[in-house]
Amino acid sequence: MPVALAIAVAGCGGTPGEDKPKDQAAGTPADQVKTDGFEDLGPVTLNVVSSEGSGGPREAIKTLTKQFEEKYPNVTVKVSYRDFPSWIKQVKLAAASDSPPDVFAGNQGYQVDGELVKAGLILPLDQYAKAYGWTDSFTPETLQQFEWSDDGKTFGEGTLWGVAQTGQSTGVFANLAKLREAGIDPASLKTFDDFDAALAKLRKTLPADEPVIALGNKDQYGAIHMWGMVQGAYTPAQDVRDWIFQKDGATFDSPGNLESLEKIKEWADKGYLGKGDSFNARDDAEAASAFGKGEGAFMLGGNWNASIAKDGLGEDAGFFNMPPGESGDTAAIGSASVPIHISAKTKQPDLAAAYLDFITGPDAGQAFVDNQLVPAVTDTTAEPGDPLGKEVKAGWDQLVKDGGLTLYPDWSSPTMLQTMGQTFQEMLAGRMSPQDVIDRTQKDWEEYHQQLAGS
Amino acid sequence: MTEVVERSRVRADAPGERRQVRVRAPGEPRRVAYLYLAPAFLFYLLFAFGPLVYTTWLSFFDWDGLTVGEWVGIENYRKVLEDPDIRASFVHSFELIFFYAVLPVVLGLALASVITHGRVRGVTFFRAVLFLPQTVATVVVAIAWVWIYAPDGPLNKALDAVGLSGISRGWLGDFNFALPALGLVGTWVMFGLCLVLFLAGIQKIPYSLYEAARVDGAGRLREFFAVTLPGLRGELAVALTLTTIMALRTFDLIYVSTNGGPGTSTTVPSVLVYQNAFVNGRVGLAAAVAVVLTALIFVVAFAITRLVDRDPSR
Repeated sequence: MPVALAIAVAGCGGTPGEDKPKDQAAGTPADQVKTDGFEDLGPVTLNVVSSEGSGGPREAIKTLTKQFEEKYPNVTVKVSYRDFPSWIKQVKLAAASDSPPDVFAGNQGYQVDGELVKAGLILPLDQYAKAYGWTDSFTPETLQQFEWSDDGKTFGEGTLWGVAQTGQSTGVFANLAKLREAGIDPASLKTFDDFDAALAKLRKTLPADEPVIALGNKDQYGAIHMWGMVQGAYTPAQDVRDWIFQKDGATFDSPGNLESLEKIKEWADKGYLGKGDSFNARDDAEAASAFGKGEGAFMLGGNWNASIAKDGLGEDAGFFNMPPGESGDTAAIGSASVPIHISAKTKQPDLAAAYLDFITGPDAGQAFVDNQLVPAVTDTTAEPGDPLGKEVKAGWDQLVKDGGLTLYPDWSSPTMLQTMGQTFQEMLAGRMSPQDVIDRTQKDWEEYHQQLAGS
Repeated sequence: MTEVVERSRVRADAPGERRQVRVRAPGEPRRVAYLYLAPAFLFYLLFAFGPLVYTTWLSFFDWDGLTVGEWVGIENYRKVLEDPDIRASFVHSFELIFFYAVLPVVLGLALASVITHGRVRGVTFFRAVLFLPQTVATVVVAIAWVWIYAPDGPLNKALDAVGLSGISRGWLGDFNFALPALGLVGTWVMFGLCLVLFLAGIQKIPYSLYEAARVDGAGRLREFFAVTLPGLRGELAVALTLTTIMALRTFDLIYVSTNGGPGTSTTVPSVLVYQNAFVNGRVGLAAAVAVVLTALIFVVAFAITRLVDRDPSR
């Protein structure tokens, strides 16, 4: 292990990182950026790493990449598809290597994007945003997720460093056949309490060893996504976002957060999540596929799993936002999909930007709706054709309208994914109290808050 | 015919050797030997010793792996000693030693002595099958066992089928069972190695010793402790050293199957090294854990060799 580690970082002597001055790495595109004429470049290859390893998102990128290559026959785009959890562990190393991919996926927040910006490994995109009109296509709330100060410390304002393809929100996937059997009309679930009552009813009607909610939490984020929409019923969305953006005075230790954590712990204790801790033994994708095969009445998770639900359940797959709490506004974890960056070391920044525009812009919309995805741009004419796709889009639109996208809590510090992932598992297994989870989470946040303020 | 040729070759070599003897005593080192050692030594320096020194150097920095690091002295080592999660990971490692080293050695010894003295048919076949896990890549082993332990996997199906559905569970998602479950995979992998080592070792114990023991009226058990066990001292040291080191440095099995979860219940130091270096951007802390782990492996391996491989008759 030490050997592997050292080889990975070998090449630097003295103080580690010293020989890579920031200014040198942070290339800036020339004032004059090119948006056309790429036919004349001659044979050229773009290396791309996508973190969309499965389902609809992967299909969409495949389609769009093929169309891009048809538009520019001299351009070859080599896309490697990686699954998200493993790619975010490698992206920083890959970006820092001598031959990084030209275009690659990052992740919003301090763990990945903040570090990439700080180290000058990706290109600032303001020039291209102007040239391609991204500021008109995307909402300010979307672009905000990719804006950083040049030192990577202030998140949510400053220079633009990436753009995204789709709107990703979390909500309730329903197996409509099972709801019918239990005599539950999904349209009657107006409030969070209605939904909670439906869970109790389903627990009685479903076989004892079948979970009411199909959950996969082995990779430690399934439960966080599920909890996010419960949190949305108790905590104002703006408070959640302020905390994620590391605003002074924000805290995780609020009555709403405590209640929401107690609620999902109660769900686990009442057996809504299946027998024992078996949800900790499978990951998000496995749970989605089990739900598609008919396990559970609900799956509380990301709309990126829509095509898996549709393939499995067909007409019986439904999607709606978690019914709101007392405020009446829907709120759930959701954001633009992961940012796509251009490497600071690419030899073809203009071509890379053209590819970025092509796979995210208004014309890409059709490829997304064909795969039950919601385009992130607002100026596309593409509309979903199938019922589930329409429901997914309606869910996203409602959250945008209510100002209820609470982003992802793990963006708030480099170690938050691990801290919350582990403590949630501990809590759901009954080894840690909800208050302990809050304390550990807030401690992680505060340590990073001080670090940002300090140096 | 061959014999004649052999003999004549010996004779032909003899004068040369006699000349050698006059120059230096047999076995006296010659300087040219360093030349033969040099390639391996350089390789070792470059790929083992160098990185070790560099890792140690890194462990004194607070470094995110990307931007300029900051010298923090022994701060990272203080964290290694004080952080309860890091300390727990070392405890997990020692629990794994039981499954990776102790259990396979005990089982291996028992089975080896049974096989040697009983008339077991198809020994070669069983030996090959039991050794097989050693030859399979750990990632493949991990994926296979994740499937076996899955909530709807074969193990749980078997338990349900015999009416034990009360104890079936997602084994790798259970805080109490995840680590032992992974440990048993280690036992499964290491057991074959131990068995093969011990079987080979027993072959070279003179049969006369067993006859003598039997003449003296020793039973099977007595015979095992008086003849077999002392005769296997060397093999025992090798088996224990190899398996213990494997237990302490195991990474791939855990990374693929649980990634340290649920919670931190299967986190071992090597997983922490990986997470801190490549995920959390705390390369200095990762290096410190790596250095401590390396030191620990040295100490444990040394202790085993001293304790087990010491022949009291010598």
